[in-house]
Amino acid sequence: MKPIYIWCLAMLLAPFFSAIIIKVKAFFGGRKGSPFLINYYTLIKLFKKGSVYSTSTTIIFKLGPIISLSSAATALMFLPIAGIAPVFSFNGDVLFVLYLLGLGRFFTIAAAMDTASPFEGMGAAREAYFPIICEATMFMVLILFYKLTGELSLASYFSGNNPAILWNSAGSTMLFVVIALFIVLLTENSRVPVDDPATHLELTMIHEVMVLDHSGPDFGFIELASFCKLFFYSTIVSRLLFPLFFPFETLNPALEICSLICVYVAAGVTESVMARYRMDKVPKFILTSFALASFATVIIMEFIK
Amino acid sequence: MNLFFLSLLIIFAGGLFAPLIRRQFFMMKIFSVFTIVAGCILGLVDAGSKLISPGEYVASFKYLKSFSLSFQIDGLSAFFLVTIFAISLLASIYSFHYMDKTDKALRTATNYLFFSLLIVSMALVVASKGMITFMLSWEIMSLSSFFLVIFNYEAIENRRAGYLYFVFSHVGAMFIFAGFGVAYAHTGSLGFGQMVSLPDTFKLIVFILFFIGFGSKAGVFPFHVWLPHAHPAAPSHISAVMSGVMIKVGIYGIIRMYVLLNYHSPVIGGIVLAAGCISGVLGVVYALGQHDLKRLLAYHSVENIGIILIGTGIGMIGVSSGNVPMAILGFSGGLLHVLNHAIFKSLLFMGAGMVLKKTGTRTIDILGGLIKKMKITGTTFLIGSLAISGLPPFNGFVSEFLIYIGGFKGVGLDRMTFAMSLIAIISLAVIGGLALACFTKVVGVVFQGEPRSAAAENVDEQGFSMLAPMLVLAGFCLIIGVYPKFFILMAMKGVSSLGLGYEWIQFEPIVRMTGNITRAAALFFAVVLFVLIIRALAYRGKSITRSGTWGCGFTQPTVKMQYTGSSYAASIIDFFRPFAPVHEDHPPIRGRMPRRKTHYHSHVNDIAELHQHNVIVRPVLFFFDKLRWMQHGDIHLYIGYILLAVIVVLFFV
Repeated sequence: MKPIYIWCLAMLLAPFFSAIIIKVKAFFGGRKGSPFLINYYTLIKLFKKGSVYSTSTTIIFKLGPIISLSSAATALMFLPIAGIAPVFSFNGDVLFVLYLLGLGRFFTIAAAMDTASPFEGMGAAREAYFPIICEATMFMVLILFYKLTGELSLASYFSGNNPAILWNSAGSTMLFVVIALFIVLLTENSRVPVDDPATHLELTMIHEVMVLDHSGPDFGFIELASFCKLFFYSTIVSRLLFPLFFPFETLNPALEICSLICVYVAAGVTESVMARYRMDKVPKFILTSFALASFATVIIMEFIK
Repeated sequence: MNLFFLSLLIIFAGGLFAPLIRRQFFMMKIFSVFTIVAGCILGLVDAGSKLISPGEYVASFKYLKSFSLSFQIDGLSAFFLVTIFAISLLASIYSFHYMDKTDKALRTATNYLFFSLLIVSMALVVASKGMITFMLSWEIMSLSSFFLVIFNYEAIENRRAGYLYFVFSHVGAMFIFAGFGVAYAHTGSLGFGQMVSLPDTFKLIVFILFFIGFGSKAGVFPFHVWLPHAHPAAPSHISAVMSGVMIKVGIYGIIRMYVLLNYHSPVIGGIVLAAGCISGVLGVVYALGQHDLKRLLAYHSVENIGIILIGTGIGMIGVSSGNVPMAILGFSGGLLHVLNHAIFKSLLFMGAGMVLKKTGTRTIDILGGLIKKMKITGTTFLIGSLAISGLPPFNGFVSEFLIYIGGFKGVGLDRMTFAMSLIAIISLAVIGGLALACFTKVVGVVFQGEPRSAAAENVDEQGFSMLAPMLVLAGFCLIIGVYPKFFILMAMKGVSSLGLGYEWIQFEPIVRMTGNITRAAALFFAVVLFVLIIRALAYRGKSITRSGTWGCGFTQPTVKMQYTGSSYAASIIDFFRPFAPVHEDHPPIRGRMPRRKTHYHSHVNDIAELHQHNVIVRPVLFFFDKLRWMQHGDIHLYIGYILLAVIVVLFFV
């Protein structure tokens, strides 16, 4: 039962971590910022509301939030958190998880296209475009991990002290991987410099514009899904940044939380010190991650024969 | 074997008698459809039983005294036969309501004649054992499908598409003939069995010839040029069969020749894999740029043939590097993708056929909002789109999963294999992302939003015979995606007859893998159910209102403001600019108050088509233009030519 408790805990804590980014940005802006529990307040507010549906929409519009939350939540089930085995794991589950997140993306895009809004179409086109390069990066990283471990499951890369084994055999090239994954994190979760979640102009949005027409609990699902997705990628990056666990289990959750906070703070700092890239510069930025992952793979090729 | 030939006879009878009873249009359709369906069911049962219990099923007939027509059905043939019969069965049911132009009775009857011939010849190709049998069936297949493509021959572009297809299928056949010719010259035997004894260099040459020949039928880049022209021209059930099944016969040819040559050089695997990666990525890039629904689907066939070839290539590399799991996963992934693609591609073509029939147009950018009126078509099309994008829990994911795992097995091997596997995996990842972009475009622009023109406004969906096959196919997309065990075992039966020397194939690890896919899908469904319950609770007693879409403050939106498919795909196409040059025609707008109307037209150029015209067609035309003087119209000299030819033949042969 322990893995399921941890999964529930992760779902519950994901909104809290996202608030850290807001807090960091407020700090850089010289403001006090909203409270740490802001995301919970937002979710509760949304769940109390009813919904307004556009007359153009169909059932797909309602399916969008459901599928995107379900896919993000299911993805978390495959991830070892705080040194505890995931709910379910098998050889090849990384592929399943990546494609499941793809399913979530398909439905988010389909829900946006359902509204007949030109702005949402624009956001959808970008949402369809940028993750293609991210996927290439992710698979390049997977090739590297497979080369190092001979396994194809999230549990074998990130549970226990396994990340330390990755570091041991790959050495400093692992830094490339960490940066590449961090870029993927920023892209997949629509953070600056790819997308600005706090922007006020619909024309420059990606994720936010796609969910313009969602309201009430549906919108709450979408928010929760994006918290979960961010949590998913952050956990991966944090496990690589802090590869070792203590020998005694009880301290591990604390360590996990600390390392997660570090990743979220890093994302917040990135948002505070950078501006969003012009749209045509974004693919180049994401391609950097692919280049880094490829470099790492090539270097590893020379070391491990 | 008798059952097999009986089923073919029944199918052929269904087509043969159609022109005779064409005066009773309705009766003719009932007769043809029922007979073809009955034949297909019989063939399906027969092929299925042969697949489950593989054995030596052979038959041989004397033909013109000196030749013998011999047939053999092994696991590989049986697997393809199952695909052929299953899809043809559903396509012929679909045709019942699709072909409803009473005034074109003769044409419809001819369509059934050639349709039945196409099914029969495809079945004969995969069952043939021997060069003569193979080429005879192959030519019948090419010719009958040519007549099906020019069904609407009044339109010039359809005639042009038919001509292009004719040229391509015969140039392709020429390469296959050349391959057989080289083999015959060395072995002196018209049977398949002796091809093993060729020397290695000749095996490579012969394989390359076969690959070009079969590749041009399968639609491998750069021999795919006919495909995006011919598929839209043909009636939709024919497109479904051609794209779903007929091009797979080309794949069958490649795999069969690989088995027959028994030449496991890494070069062959490399060629197949490289061709697969290029076709896969470029196929989907060109698909993104299309404005014509059926043309777009046709380019997706190029993409999926690429995925199948990637799987096959991984299998071949696995064989040459002695890695058994890699070989088995690659081949069975490729074969399963043959079946999967047949299922979702014919589903998508049938959906496109319904759209075409009800709206009268195939242009993506003037459609919209169809799912509101065409619920079944829209939903099944959505399922097909999810499946073709390779998303779980649908069937496309399962075959891609097997290919991925096979590719990852190659990552752990030597440097060359590592590089190839790396290219294969990255290509598959990029293809997956691009296919998702392309199908969100199709579903989003054609089926969602608001109708962009009058053509898309007053539509409905009718015709039980058109809807039922789509529902069945969509059902199979989900069944294979959730419970793939049976179908993977089917593909593995096909693989075990490849004669790779792995008679002891271990089913157990792969069965465990399928169990994991099923469990993971079940987990996902459980979460979806949980979320649905929470949603129901959250909305209990809440007020739900409907209003217009939020236009970001703009209060007078029109349907023309919706994002179009062209703009949706523009930035992705731009990324691949060197391979997909966009031709735009857009006169600039002049003045503050422009009076003159302007227009915008864009066309994504296929570099294969572009260069084939410059590099092959133009020089050939130039050359033959120079030889015009030989054709002077003087009959006496023509007879002289014949005499000369006879003398030359007498002396030299």
